[in-house]
Amino acid sequence: MNELVKIFLSAMLIENIVLMRFLGLCPFIGMSTDIKKSTGMGVAVIFVTVLATAVTWPVYNGLLKPLDLEFLQILVFILVIASLVQLVEFYLKKSAPALYSSMGVYLALITTNCAILAVTFDVIIKGYSFIESLVYAVGVACGFFLSLILLAGIRERLKIAPVPAFLKGMPILFVAAGLLAMAFGGFDGLIK
Amino acid sequence: MKILLATLAVSLGLAALLGFLLGFFKKIFHVESDPCEALVREALPGTNCGACGFAGCDALAAAVIRGDAPVDGCTSGGAEVAKKVAEIMGVTSEAVTRVVVLRCQGTLEHCKPKADYIGVKTCKAAKIAVNGTKQCDFGCIGFGDCEVACPFDAIHVAPDGIPHVDYAKCTGCGLCVAACPNLLLELVPRDRTGAIALCSNRDTKKAQVIKDCKIGCIKCLKCERVCPKECIKVINGIPVVDYDVCDSCGECVRACPTKVLALVEDVIRIS
Repeated sequence: MNELVKIFLSAMLIENIVLMRFLGLCPFIGMSTDIKKSTGMGVAVIFVTVLATAVTWPVYNGLLKPLDLEFLQILVFILVIASLVQLVEFYLKKSAPALYSSMGVYLALITTNCAILAVTFDVIIKGYSFIESLVYAVGVACGFFLSLILLAGIRERLKIAPVPAFLKGMPILFVAAGLLAMAFGGFDGLIK
Repeated sequence: MKILLATLAVSLGLAALLGFLLGFFKKIFHVESDPCEALVREALPGTNCGACGFAGCDALAAAVIRGDAPVDGCTSGGAEVAKKVAEIMGVTSEAVTRVVVLRCQGTLEHCKPKADYIGVKTCKAAKIAVNGTKQCDFGCIGFGDCEVACPFDAIHVAPDGIPHVDYAKCTGCGLCVAACPNLLLELVPRDRTGAIALCSNRDTKKAQVIKDCKIGCIKCLKCERVCPKECIKVINGIPVVDYDVCDSCGECVRACPTKVLALVEDVIRIS
């Protein structure tokens, strides 16, 4: 149990996927314009990441590894994740239209986002068991969610802040994101 | 050789399995949708401006099919889109495009600022904090909340301190109308003719208006007297025109001592 908490916390804070490993930067900048949008995106990312890990782990350990086909993992993972998300989309559209209309747009957007793909490779490189992999996936996705919300909050305040003209728009946003990343650097060494 | 065969088998097998699953799921989870919906969606502009009140063009298309929205529901698409949608739905539409008119001429030259304003630079904030930055409390504040709201890049605050509308681009979506805290922007049909008062100062004290703005309406009622059709009345401090009667003769425009009145067709002409 203790081990799982450790995995979760280090995935979420110490090795924050966006701020410490610089993956998934595109949605991080693109979807953080307001808190509502980033909440939708964050929930969709948590959902897809866990789903992707839950499927790719058995595929790798049950199919690719026994057949010595490890080199196929990028190809197979992208294929599996993309079609799986598509399937879930069909299902949601039919049985939960409200959930679909609130999450639907983001789902297609992040099918093979690099952050999600990275999680599926990570759990294999780190040699996690199935349960550990799922916990790690939730942790990484929560970390993404957290940093997205944080940046969205900063951006909402930036709108009314007296920013010097030469820093307006993207420059100040990158500075803010950089400071956020430095702040997350402080979590280093939280867990021994 | 064995690896090669295994690779082929795995990739082909997976592709076939997933392809089959996708097709299968699409069948069971198929959602019935009206084929007209796709046609309506195609006729809409696709800018997702939200001016119609729905979440986007997809949502409006669905609402039109359900009958929850009129065929001319797309405010920004105007008559052209309304006609196309009406054709698909099998009805006729009489919609007219509208454009926005700024009912204030209070440029910095004519209407001086109250004081140096160093607060948050949006019209809304300035309105709340000091009731507008200019001498005239009713006039354009000039921080461009309308410019930010416009999805069509059609309204811009010029160096003279008030926004100017690019009538080639304005679609009459009305987003700027909602953004203006002084309610200075008004939608008018693009084919409207007649006089319009380009001032919203409702202060009935003549001396105060003269002090506030060089081209504000001073309620002299000259327009009421010169109008041959008696279709212009000063109501609540500004001249209001009855466009059913007004024949755009221009008598009031020439008579107005502070140049508040103008002809709509001149204001909204595409330059």
